[in-house]
Amino acid sequence: MSDLPPTRAPVQPPVSPPPTFTHVPQGAQSWLLGRREDARLVTGAGRYVGDLKVAGCLDAAFVRSRVAHGRLLAVDTGAAAEIDGVVGVWSAADMGDELPVVPSFTPGSADEERQRPALAVDRVRYVGEPVAVIVGTDRYVAEDGADAVRVDIDPLPVLVDPGQAAASSTWLFDGVDNVADEMEFGEPVDDEVWQRAAVVVEGAYRQPRLAPTPMEPRAILAVPELDGRVTIWVSHQAPHRLQKDLATALQLDVERIRVRVPDSGGAFGSKSGTFPEYLSVVRLALRLGRPVRWIEDRAETLSGATHGRGQNQRVRIAADEDGRMLALALEVDADVGGYPIAGFVAAETGLAAAGPYLTPKVHARVRTVVTNTTPTAPYRGAGRPEQVYAVERTVDLLARRLGMDPAELRRRNFIPPEAFPYEAPTGRRYDSGQYALALDKALELVDYGYWREEQRRRRRSDTERALGIGLCSFAERSGLEQAPMAHEWASLDVTPDGRVVARIGTCSTGQSHETVFPELVAHTLGIPAQCVSLIEGDTDEVVQGIGTFGSRSMQAGGSALHQAALELIEEAKRRAVRMGCAEPDVGYADGTVSAGERSWTLGDLATASPEPLRVEGVYDNAAAFPFGTYVAVVEVDPELGNVRVLRLVAIDDCGVAVDPEIVEDQTIGAIVQGIGQALYEEMPYDNQGTPQADGLLGYLLPTIGELPPLTLDTTVTPNPNTALGAKGAGEAGCIGTPPAIVNAVIDALGQSVAGTDIGGVQLPLTPETCWRAAAGQEVGAR
Amino acid sequence: MTGRTPVRLTVNETDYDVTVEPRRLLADVLREDCNLTGTKLGCEHGVCGSCTVLVDGEGVRSCLMFAVQCAGRDIRTVEGLAAHGRLHAFQQAISTEHGLQCGFCTAGFVMLVVGALEDDPSIAEDPERLDGLLSSNLCRCTGYEGIRRAVLRAYGRNGTHEKDGAEGH
Ligand code: FES
Ligand code: FES
Repeated sequence: MSDLPPTRAPVQPPVSPPPTFTHVPQGAQSWLLGRREDARLVTGAGRYVGDLKVAGCLDAAFVRSRVAHGRLLAVDTGAAAEIDGVVGVWSAADMGDELPVVPSFTPGSADEERQRPALAVDRVRYVGEPVAVIVGTDRYVAEDGADAVRVDIDPLPVLVDPGQAAASSTWLFDGVDNVADEMEFGEPVDDEVWQRAAVVVEGAYRQPRLAPTPMEPRAILAVPELDGRVTIWVSHQAPHRLQKDLATALQLDVERIRVRVPDSGGAFGSKSGTFPEYLSVVRLALRLGRPVRWIEDRAETLSGATHGRGQNQRVRIAADEDGRMLALALEVDADVGGYPIAGFVAAETGLAAAGPYLTPKVHARVRTVVTNTTPTAPYRGAGRPEQVYAVERTVDLLARRLGMDPAELRRRNFIPPEAFPYEAPTGRRYDSGQYALALDKALELVDYGYWREEQRRRRRSDTERALGIGLCSFAERSGLEQAPMAHEWASLDVTPDGRVVARIGTCSTGQSHETVFPELVAHTLGIPAQCVSLIEGDTDEVVQGIGTFGSRSMQAGGSALHQAALELIEEAKRRAVRMGCAEPDVGYADGTVSAGERSWTLGDLATASPEPLRVEGVYDNAAAFPFGTYVAVVEVDPELGNVRVLRLVAIDDCGVAVDPEIVEDQTIGAIVQGIGQALYEEMPYDNQGTPQADGLLGYLLPTIGELPPLTLDTTVTPNPNTALGAKGAGEAGCIGTPPAIVNAVIDALGQSVAGTDIGGVQLPLTPETCWRAAAGQEVGAR
Repeated sequence: MTGRTPVRLTVNETDYDVTVEPRRLLADVLREDCNLTGTKLGCEHGVCGSCTVLVDGEGVRSCLMFAVQCAGRDIRTVEGLAAHGRLHAFQQAISTEHGLQCGFCTAGFVMLVVGALEDDPSIAEDPERLDGLLSSNLCRCTGYEGIRRAVLRAYGRNGTHEKDGAEGH
């Protein structure tokens, strides 16, 4: 089908609204569950996008480029359109003026010179880029249609490495070179500093591309409603931003769009974007006047969605003979893939360059470079794991060079507790920290002395496997520093029966908000938790919101609810005064306002006046800085290159933990993703730009069999900027784990005293990588 | 692909008479034709185990079977576990032990464990066999610790499974 059909009225009978996600199975009220979400999730009664049933729903499927770079000569949709059940097939040419363009995340930035259309126009820039969309009566038929589309592409030279792409005369976008952005943080370090320093070490590292791989790939269902609006059911982290982007891209009034996030099968940063496929699906649902859904499959998402990480890094550290760090320089070429959609991830790597150390001179230079690979976007940690990895490996290199214990070297350089708030040379302002405390606790829990002794013993014996101990100390960031991203909207409504309905602009994709936010509000108000319910992930119900990413849900959203609850107490007291209470001392406790002999419950106050008892506001909670130290003990089999992690100790400080169990859940999950990054995960490309994994047998995720013995503990340094004191959690595990494991493996493999680690051991530490390193004379030597 | 075949599927002791193309996967027919959406599809190529259901008591990946292969066989899905308003012991345990976050992998793990442990509860007592069993499914959220603990809670020594059903009261 070459032309878009004219806009039609929604089909009759009217589209029935999908069920809401508050499915409570029979009998659930009496169950004692770990979390509120679980009643529906353990019984199969949860509702994810793919579970929603809407009458007359069509399925979309995409045809994707199999060529990494080329001129798109023709898209032949004829045969596909003939297939029984195929409702329509569209290439960019068929969409014509109706073809949406993905709105830039940072309007006005260089990204706008490199626009990303919903379907490729004239040129394809990565394998997996959508070229055509088929809508059919079911997914099988739509996929038959996709198979029948013929795409003719004239190949162009392929660039897969950001360094190579930055220097190439082949440009991915006509008229603008491949460096999308260049950023600097801090002042450049004078040559003299490097020349005069007692020691200078330098390392070069590669951050492989990772596939975020939530167990549910992307999913969207667009339902045109009879009143002219459209409901978007979508697995997403930031529904309000998606709503706004859809309005911009499709030139619709924001009010016409309702974005709803039902149960979501995980995200880890990868569901925060406005994807080209989503624009096509919503556009076609509106044009056809029928519900259209798109349920992505695994093979498709591995190259068709977004990747995380993907950086070439170079770090230099200068230090005096006592190991005091004098200067740190970080250079990053960030591979942003075919379209620069999330340069802010690499910016975070630069801004965070100083880490937890008091280095007087820190400079970072970050380039974001387009290549013929899948676009990169946030993946759990988003810029911080990259920074921590680069710096922590180089700190270990410095320790080896100085012949100093890596723990002692770190301790000597930490920003001391009394120095906070501390402004790093990159301009980042850290709130609070007790870095040495976390380090000491980690060493004690792992029994550092014992393992060092064991290491010496094994080195003396020739027969035993080499043992290594690796450290990683980090300071990370939760939430965001700048307004409006540092804001979060919250409201609390008291119903006449004294229940409280909380609304918040964050959006759970598995982080237990439904359990922990009501607990927090209830605790603050002194009422039973079951009296509080939560609404989020619905742009009609929640008037504004920023979403869930960057470990911000508790740090920003929780703080907002906490502040709102404190305001509600004040409002309740004011109500009591207005109701004629003349007592000078109005008190509040456990859901009841009292003054002298009189008292009113929240429910009484809500019914006493026609004006609803509610508070609402946008609360400002700027970024916080969780930190920690991780220690890994590993054993490496020199014959096979296998790494066995014998111990992993994680000390995290995320400020006040509102629900320590839920924080621990997040930490363990993130640690296992970090183990994946350290040892297994990579999305490799050949030099033709073809991704080398298209399934979960090619892209390896850790299973339970790869789980080492974990010891988790915490220190508590409250967030000094919020009354709640929470700093946010969720990402630390995958920040601290990879450097600890890699440093341990290098420690096991041998003692390089060279000042360079360039071209040495790189992620992931596959058996082959370790075997080669073990067979080489010196790991890290040039 | 053309030609639809009538099939009677017996799922959780209920008969479903559906007419499906022979190429339709058991998972899709359960989800779309029988409206049993508790079974999830995480990879559609047999690796993640999210789609695990029991066919004649054996755990199978419903993304690797055609619905027409299952005619006349006894199929059990996560929807069939809770009975009379009470959770199955393992459903209870996986919640108590925080063995789920997003919940997308949960039905697969629940059916995997129930299928294997009801046959041979001694797996719970043997860490190696238990790891072997659980490593056939993927979870990206929990880091697995809670899932392992849940098996021990339900099927280990003095496990709640013996006490027949949930602890809720
Ligand atoms: S969906 Fe069947 S094994 Fe992954
Ligand atoms: S709970 Fe999310 S994948 Fe297992």
